[in-house]
Amino acid sequence: MAKKDFTDDLRPHPDADGAKKLASERSRSSIDTDELANHVFGSAYLERQQRVLTALEPEKIFSKANQANLSRPDRYKLGLARGKRMRQLMDKHGWDEADILMAEYLIDDLQPYHLHLSLFNSAMREQCSDDQRAYWTPKIESWEIIGAYAQTELGHGSNVRGLECQATWDQKTKEFVIHSPTLTASKWWNGTLGRTATHAVVVAQLMLPHGPSGKLVSYGPRPFIVQVRDKKTHQPPESIAVGDIGPKYGYAPMDNAYCLFDHHRVPHSALLSRYASVDPDTGAYTKPTNPASVYGSLTRGRSVIVMNARLVLARAVTVAIRYLAIRRQFRDRDDANPEGPECAVLDYSTVQIRVLPLLAATFALHYSGEAMRELYERTRSTNALDGDQAQLAELHSTSAGLKSLATDLAANGIETCRRAMGGHGFGGGTGLIQPNADYLSKPTVEGDNWMITQQAARYLLNRVEDVKKSPAGESRSRTDDNLRDYHARASTPPKSRQLSDETIAAAFEWRVSFFAFEAHRARYIQKKSWNSMLIDLYKLSRAYAQSMLVGNFYLAMRRSTLSCSTTTEVLGDLYRLFALNTMDAEAREFQKSGAVAAEVLDTLPEQVLHLMQKVRPHVVKLVDSFALPDFMLDSALGRYDGRVYEDLFNRAHRLNPLNRLTFNPDYRSDEIVMGAKDGADMLAKL
Amino acid sequence: MSQTPQWVRDLKPSGPQGSELLKEERNASNVNVDQLATFLHTKDGRERKKRILKVLESEKAFDKSQNYFAGRIDRFETALKRAKRLRQLYVEQNWGTEERQVANELISEPLPYGLHESMFLITIRDQGSAEQHQKFLKPAENYEYIGCYAQTELGHGSNVRGLETTATWNPDDKTFTLHSPSLTASKWWIGSLGRMANHAVVMAQLVIAGKRYGPHPFVVHIRDMKTHQPLEGVHIGDIGPKFGYNTMDNGFLLFNNVKIPHIGMLSRFSSVDPKTNQYIRPSSPSLVYGTLTWVRSTIVMQAGGVLARGVTIATRYCAVRRQFQDRDAPEWEKGENQVLNYTMVQIRLLPLLAATFALHFTGKGMMQLYEANNRKIRQSKEASKDHARGAGPEETESSSDLLSDLHAISCGLKSLASSTAAEGLEVCRRACGGHGYSSFSGIGSYYADYLPTATWEGDNYMLTQQVARYLLKSARSVLKGNEPTNDTTAILSYFLSRQDQGAAFDILGDDADVVSAFAWRSAFLTFEALKHRDEQKRSWNSLLVDFYQLSKAHSQYMVVKSFYETLQASSTSSELDPDTQGLMHKLFRLYALHTLESEASEFYTSAAVTVRQIQLARSSAVMKLLEEIRPHAVRLVDSWDFPDWQLDSSLGRQDGKVYEDMFYRASELNPLNRVTVDPYPNSETLFRKDGSGELKSKL
Ligand SMILES: Cc1cc2nc3c(=O)[nH]c(=O)nc-3n(C[C@H](O)[C@H](O)[C@H](O)COP(=O)(O)OP(=O)(O)OC[C@H]3O[C@@H](n4cnc5c(N)ncnc54)[C@H](O)[C@@H]3O)c2cc1C
Ligand SMILES: Cc1cc2nc3c(=O)[nH]c(=O)nc-3n(C[C@H](O)[C@H](O)[C@H](O)COP(=O)(O)OP(=O)(O)OC[C@H]3O[C@@H](n4cnc5c(N)ncnc54)[C@H](O)[C@@H]3O)c2cc1C
Repeated sequence: MAKKDFTDDLRPHPDADGAKKLASERSRSSIDTDELANHVFGSAYLERQQRVLTALEPEKIFSKANQANLSRPDRYKLGLARGKRMRQLMDKHGWDEADILMAEYLIDDLQPYHLHLSLFNSAMREQCSDDQRAYWTPKIESWEIIGAYAQTELGHGSNVRGLECQATWDQKTKEFVIHSPTLTASKWWNGTLGRTATHAVVVAQLMLPHGPSGKLVSYGPRPFIVQVRDKKTHQPPESIAVGDIGPKYGYAPMDNAYCLFDHHRVPHSALLSRYASVDPDTGAYTKPTNPASVYGSLTRGRSVIVMNARLVLARAVTVAIRYLAIRRQFRDRDDANPEGPECAVLDYSTVQIRVLPLLAATFALHYSGEAMRELYERTRSTNALDGDQAQLAELHSTSAGLKSLATDLAANGIETCRRAMGGHGFGGGTGLIQPNADYLSKPTVEGDNWMITQQAARYLLNRVEDVKKSPAGESRSRTDDNLRDYHARASTPPKSRQLSDETIAAAFEWRVSFFAFEAHRARYIQKKSWNSMLIDLYKLSRAYAQSMLVGNFYLAMRRSTLSCSTTTEVLGDLYRLFALNTMDAEAREFQKSGAVAAEVLDTLPEQVLHLMQKVRPHVVKLVDSFALPDFMLDSALGRYDGRVYEDLFNRAHRLNPLNRLTFNPDYRSDEIVMGAKDGADMLAKL
Repeated sequence: MSQTPQWVRDLKPSGPQGSELLKEERNASNVNVDQLATFLHTKDGRERKKRILKVLESEKAFDKSQNYFAGRIDRFETALKRAKRLRQLYVEQNWGTEERQVANELISEPLPYGLHESMFLITIRDQGSAEQHQKFLKPAENYEYIGCYAQTELGHGSNVRGLETTATWNPDDKTFTLHSPSLTASKWWIGSLGRMANHAVVMAQLVIAGKRYGPHPFVVHIRDMKTHQPLEGVHIGDIGPKFGYNTMDNGFLLFNNVKIPHIGMLSRFSSVDPKTNQYIRPSSPSLVYGTLTWVRSTIVMQAGGVLARGVTIATRYCAVRRQFQDRDAPEWEKGENQVLNYTMVQIRLLPLLAATFALHFTGKGMMQLYEANNRKIRQSKEASKDHARGAGPEETESSSDLLSDLHAISCGLKSLASSTAAEGLEVCRRACGGHGYSSFSGIGSYYADYLPTATWEGDNYMLTQQVARYLLKSARSVLKGNEPTNDTTAILSYFLSRQDQGAAFDILGDDADVVSAFAWRSAFLTFEALKHRDEQKRSWNSLLVDFYQLSKAHSQYMVVKSFYETLQASSTSSELDPDTQGLMHKLFRLYALHTLESEASEFYTSAAVTVRQIQLARSSAVMKLLEEIRPHAVRLVDSWDFPDWQLDSSLGRQDGKVYEDMFYRASELNPLNRVTVDPYPNSETLFRKDGSGELKSKL
């Protein structure tokens, strides 16, 4: 604890009183934040957040005060301690799965147990036969075993078929021999496996002997459950080399792993055999019984990604908007009074143009994520609507594009917000350093954001092919409708002159159809190589995903049942802000496709500016309605109460361990820490 | 002691090996790396770098192997150790400015003497009187005084006039009282202050007899020379961990009515007369923005090299990384595709590769212009001693046409170049897929350390207002019918004379026309902005986004022009063989056309190009350039001449041994693997065995 000193009595300059500034921001807008929060999250979610938060807040281990100073091993150690505590609290409070997810989110640190809770758990749930499930589930639930998911290798990530790790069936002993033939076959990146896990689902090429010669044939990558460490000593057997891969851009508390196998033997039961199995007596392979629609789980997964992206963006935008509404810098140049007060930097249009479209994007992501979730839930219940199944099948293919766009928007959005905050945006007081670094993995994992756009584009090309073959055929989905509509009217592009809410959404759809037909022509008629088209396909996928965001936002606005008229109006403005700002950025595509008239496109910057001015008075209340607790934000700049400068100073002066050491700055002296007699010490170390 | 079992050590990556792939890449291209490297860095420059590298590599203090693992305090201690050793080497090896700069680039982390060596010394030198040089500069150059430059405060950074710290003149005892009236007056972000400095140049509002005279620089003694504890009434500390720059002790500083003697106010340009208590102004108040322009030009100059690091790492790695077969590959063609062959990867990396050269030549051009100008000014203004760093962007005023041109250009280019480099590094990192996320990619931490460049020396958005202001002023002068006096007014006049006929630039066939198209767009946007401001009387604030675009457009024009002019120069044709020159032209076109395509709307609206041209630029010209440049990519990055020691990257290794090195660092250098964990939640034990310290002490 720092001693009392003269700084204890200092207050921010009266013009920099954050609490007052935020109070006046809040009084400027009549948005009903409670209603909006309920509209976005639902009361069950908000209640859960509050309940779990209350349990976490008193626990010292979750304090973030010193974590940014720690070395990698210490950071891991802290993560481990937090993970244990979280599990203990789960037992104490009887938390269910949703509660524990909420706790992870609020603790805001990827704990070493994360893969046990997520990928390991879901892989076991989906891939085990009924017998296997009965055996493993209790152990998994009690954390008697700790699991990881080991698919990616040093040499292969995106291309799963290229995995090198092998599982060879040994008919004599009725075992599988798991082996890594090369260094690049080493498992790599697998979370929780580096130091923590006792078990892993290992994805390996299933090799079965074939014909009389016994020649080995690969049946593709299959999952095996493998014990990697001893229950007692927590050491791996000699036939396994496993460790942590070292520090990363983010995710410091997570022990991502490397793992190699030297003819490591596992029993027949190790092959997870819900969909495929090997007959222990004959060594014959049983084909996967056509797996029941897997569309659902992927779509659900992707809706979770989109919903998370919106939370991450909400977080960045909350911090940025609160701080920038408080920060004053310069007087307005057109202010006649030379002694007038300084401007809130949030009033500068170059600040608004960076942050406010991201605020709008947060809502856009929200409505699309919600639409996906609802669709998924409907298809699993009896309330399914007529086109739901077809729509789900379509989403299965196209949601890759949304994953790519949503995670890009969020990852880049945090950085944009951070930079918009000037110098303080670079400091630890933002509370955004770790979320930013952690989140930057998302554009790569679960399908690299560039690579997977090919999936969505491929689907669209196939649809165009169908539409061209049978223009009068039946429409199966919204995309089908649009493509058919385009096909019928292609020679008379709308070139919209008026941008109503409806024509805006239609313009986005027209643009998609136009470029889908263009790409189709290039591939099917001009026979262009796939590789030469990748950039166009990427753009096509993006156009499609943008159209989804705009379309879902539009539909949500039409259905809105909010009672607060200001909120309704402001959300409408945010819809237009998101759509028109996106359109402006992609103006040439809208022009080329004939979706919007060129003169109208020229007016977009002004319309965007105007919309930002309309939204401006409400922005603090809008971010308030995201209801992100200070505990999670851990941000001096983004505090709910606006005490930005007091908190920045407190962190620097009272919480910063570097200030407990006095260093010897004289280059002629080898002493580093004064009085620590470490000069010789350090020398010996170096 | 290796922990890795023998069977693991015997493993090789599956073939083809990274080293073979890079060898093939190098065989497939005829770029003369040596020649191009010399062209970029000069013979002297390259030799110097080699020489210094040899010294640093052999010093244990600079061993990088634990950098990525350590915590903040250890990192700071190690950095201090390095800074001391480096300073000793300056003396032992007699290293001058250039050598020192190279050494710092090779070490590649901010060191705790950083601000002492730059801003503290420069400010005293530029703004101090002869007497002050004697009193402050001598001991500072000798590192008895360790200093920093304390301008920014908690509440104010960009707006220097808004600083709250006061320096009040006391006529009675001829002293100044430095005081921080509020918490937001605390100095903040000040490099080398938090734990290091015993002196500071403090910018404070000068107050004489109740009247404020604006911010002025004062040299203040802040820590005891013996105990290194803060002096009475001075409160200092480090501001805590940051996004990057964690080896630097950026600090805070507060004064509780601290008195300093009259000599503390740096008085070359303004002072207080101790006898009359009057404020003495500089005879001519036109502060030249020399230093600021110089600092920004340096940022432009360095941006090319900064970006080149990311591009080198990503290009080499993407040539080694193979993933999937080409979808159109014939049946018989086995084996996976190098990801660098995917156009999706090329479109991210190759335009950035072109940008490294574009920025490098632009920066060089800026430095030359700056020096030429300086000579001219020195000659024409023998008598004038006006040479100082202004207190901030708002403080600056023009003194000569050329110089104000240079100043404006340096603002715009600083913004464009540092944004391009920072964003480009992140693009490179992501292009490396999963392994890009590892610290061993060598990009992440470097990017984090570079990021403040987008904020300091003028926030990248804010700076663009100065460019716009300057362009508007120039446009007004052209409209009045004044003769062009520099390039800016020349392109504006040209546009004015031609705007009714329109332009017909052959951007696909003629390089000079490409440059003209960029000039045209910039001029068009300038007059548009002028119309908004002067005719439509729109508010300044509502135009900021337009100004930002305008500044970007004008700066892009400058970059394209510099690149083009470099290629036209006779020295280029004498130093580079024709094939390499041809390749440079392709890089020029790739940079220009790719930029043009990304800004297509503006080019179209300004009527610099037609829709058809834009479409062709994209669908055929750029695609063709990617294909033509692709085979030379590895050799082109080789010519940037980064030693592995500097890159400290598994992915970017010169020899392509990517996987071996990733594995080595993970299994041998990683302290976490010396730890045995207790993973079960109900046991309070975390680490059963903790050997993570072993590696550190073994170094
Ligand atoms: C933090 C983190 C945690 C992870 N956790 C796990 C885990 O728990 N378990 C696990 O098994 N894995 C895990 N992974 C691995 C992750 O799934 C892979 O890194 C990811 O799938 C990307 O694959 P890659 O690294 O092979 O990228 P690459 O495919 O090598 O990508 C390199 C570049 O090539 C491009 N590219 C690749 N193929 C193509 C193509 N066909 N066309 C055009 N361009 C192409 C990409 O766009 C990219 O720019 C994790 C990764 C990270 C970063
Ligand atoms: C790592 C690091 C090291 C540093 N080292 C030093 C040092 O050694 N000594 C020192 O004195 N300082 C130092 N600084 C401070 C640095 O110079 C300032 O942070 C910088 O000048 C930006 O000022 P600011 O933080 O007040 O940003 P702000 O001005 O608060 O910027 C916030 C936002 O407002 C916008 N904005 C501000 N004014 C306007 C306007 N008029 N019109 C439109 N938009 C506007 C900006 O674009 C930005 O988006 C350092 C900073 C960092 C990050």
